Amino acid sequence: MLLTLDLNDPRPLHEQVAEAIRRAVAEGSYAPGDRLPPARDLAAALGINANTVLRALRDLRDEGVLEFRRGRGVTVLSRPNPRSVIEEKLRSLLDEAVQYGYRHDDVIELIRELS
Amino acid sequence: MTGPGARSLEERADVGLRARFLSIATAWFGLVTVALIAAPLALRDRLPDPVATHWGASGAPDNSMPFLVSLLFQVGLWTLLAGGALGFAFVNAAMFRRRTSRMALGAALGGAGLFFPGLQIVTLMANLDAPHWRQADDLGWGALLAVAGLVLGGWLGALAARPGPDERPEPSAVPTRRVPLRPGQRAVWVSSVSSGPLTALSGSVLAVGGGLAVLALIGGDSALWIPATITFLAGLLALTFSSVRVQIAEEGVVLFYGPLRLPRKHIPIERVERAWSERRFPSDVGGWGIRGLPGAVTVMIRGGECLVVGYVSGGRFAVSIDDAESGAALLNTLVDRAATGPSTR
Repeated sequence: MLLTLDLNDPRPLHEQVAEAIRRAVAEGSYAPGDRLPPARDLAAALGINANTVLRALRDLRDEGVLEFRRGRGVTVLSRPNPRSVIEEKLRSLLDEAVQYGYRHDDVIELIRELS
Repeated sequence: MTGPGARSLEERADVGLRARFLSIATAWFGLVTVALIAAPLALRDRLPDPVATHWGASGAPDNSMPFLVSLLFQVGLWTLLAGGALGFAFVNAAMFRRRTSRMALGAALGGAGLFFPGLQIVTLMANLDAPHWRQADDLGWGALLAVAGLVLGGWLGALAARPGPDERPEPSAVPTRRVPLRPGQRAVWVSSVSSGPLTALSGSVLAVGGGLAVLALIGGDSALWIPATITFLAGLLALTFSSVRVQIAEEGVVLFYGPLRLPRKHIPIERVERAWSERRFPSDVGGWGIRGLPGAVTVMIRGGECLVVGYVSGGRFAVSIDDAESGAALLNTLVDRAATGPSTR
């Protein structure tokens, strides 16, 4: 499972982890029914607390992306809602645009021009 | 991957390699067999019957065989060994693509092919002109001749089998896939693989070990402690190599064995040149577990997708793991990032 975290992202860490997992599942490297790596391994790799990862996993379970099963660990239940994936991408796009001095309206204008 | 045309071409090349190997090996087999039969027959008049065939620690002969039995025994052993090697080569055309497999087979045939004649020469020399097998000479340093034949033959056989392709379908370039990574982003890849049969096997061995320990405890039979400990340790060892986890981050690659995540192996990012995904099977690497020599190790838990790490030093390290392609993409990205310097940090 490939996870990416932005170290400068001001949002709470568990939200970022949930987003990263959601993206990994949406990109298709994990299909419904596949088992996720243990939370403890994800936390160790990311260098964060295991409880933060667990909280992210619980959020995704509540969203219907993941399923917790006794003895089977955490598995993928369904692909996340496409809208939430695009929302996340747009959010990071807007953040990047702000870094370059673009306002949100400028970005909306750009999208109109492109489509 | 490879189309049907490419595959049949590959198979034809295997068959060609095998035919060449088999024709040379069969000629060698015939030559050695003739020598093994002809030499004793030519000297038969000067040998006792039965002949001395075994020497004790004191150097005096302590066992004998009738002349013909001894001859058949030596020829039979050689035929069994060489025939086994040839038969194995006959059914495994694909193994000729690998240089190490060819060299191992060549070494076996070459080594045995000089060991048996060496043994025969030593035996014949000791028996020569002795009126009775009990009066045969001692072997002296002659016994070393057979060992020297084994080593020399093995070396020559391996050398003779060396020419030809060494198949490891390696991508000539680094796979192009990269993970888009902005400065200030931390990317990690975590994956694992476990073998169901190996886990079940190690679990049952552990259970047997535990059961023996309980018996030793209840029955007070202290003799049971030794097998209990050995079985338990064997189960633990099998359990350790029944699953593996791999973590890739900026620091490099970390490999964890077993449910205890111990032992672990760390490959610093500076040692990595490139990485790719490849399909490998236990039949390619010689079985399950940690296989190969340092510099070409494969950690084989199950056949299929493997992550291969190419070291800057030229060595290779492979581990069977799910989703290896993403892992390779991230590792290559991190290698590029490390090479461009710390400015991206």
